Amino acid sequence: MHIVKWAAVLAIFWLLLSGFIEPLLLSFGVISVVAVLVVLKRMDEVEHESSQISTSLRLIRYLPWLIGQIISSSIHVTKLIWGSPDKVSPAIAKISSKDVPLSSRVLYANSITLTPGTLSVDLEEDEITVHALHKSSIDELKQGEMERKIAGIWGENK
Amino acid sequence: MLFLDIVSSILLLAGIFFGLSGAVGLFRFPDFFTRVHAASVTDSIAAILIIGGLLLQTSFDLNTAKLVFILLFLMVTSPTASHALAKSARHGGLLTLAETRPEDKQEHTQ
Repeated sequence: MHIVKWAAVLAIFWLLLSGFIEPLLLSFGVISVVAVLVVLKRMDEVEHESSQISTSLRLIRYLPWLIGQIISSSIHVTKLIWGSPDKVSPAIAKISSKDVPLSSRVLYANSITLTPGTLSVDLEEDEITVHALHKSSIDELKQGEMERKIAGIWGENK
Repeated sequence: MLFLDIVSSILLLAGIFFGLSGAVGLFRFPDFFTRVHAASVTDSIAAILIIGGLLLQTSFDLNTAKLVFILLFLMVTSPTASHALAKSARHGGLLTLAETRPEDKQEHTQ
């Protein structure tokens, strides 16, 4: 069943990237989609957990919030850059990611890195080592707004 | 169209400013880890603003979709690259500024 979903997603992706509706190029597209599907099928046999695509639009609920966070913390870091960069007081700490579902931990670590001012240095079982330009960012992360956000959006069907 | 052009130029100019800030920060910040933070300003907000500005310049066709794809891929790959850099630096034994400053040490040993 998920093969059909992948076929649709890949076909749409190919069409968006190419934009040519000519028989020759369309057939190239079909060949590449089929090739990817064959590889996917074989990979599913190796790894018994098949790669699902979520049909719900979770990312659309998450991205605007993340972009808001990026903007506010970018302004903060930019102030430090143009102001007095010697006054930065970097801090490093371990942050628990127990509440984040296993499949979303990479997303959590990437969101931390993507937000300027915090950088995920190491990702262990259920702890992320975070380096921050200022201690306040670590306290903010420890309060867990981002964690709850991700757990709330991706944790539903766990 | 004029309104869109104005918004788009504002976004592009803001993107240039943040990109430049990231580059300046790369030189002004004191150690490796803080410099990665400066670079991530360029990675994240400058990329978002510049691609946002370019999006408004397209005529909302296939190019728009391609730009959105570029933005999505950048948002996945650039933090991964920063993470790889920081992780290898840490595992290579590079200490952060907080750990080399003796007066802060007690906070981090707990």
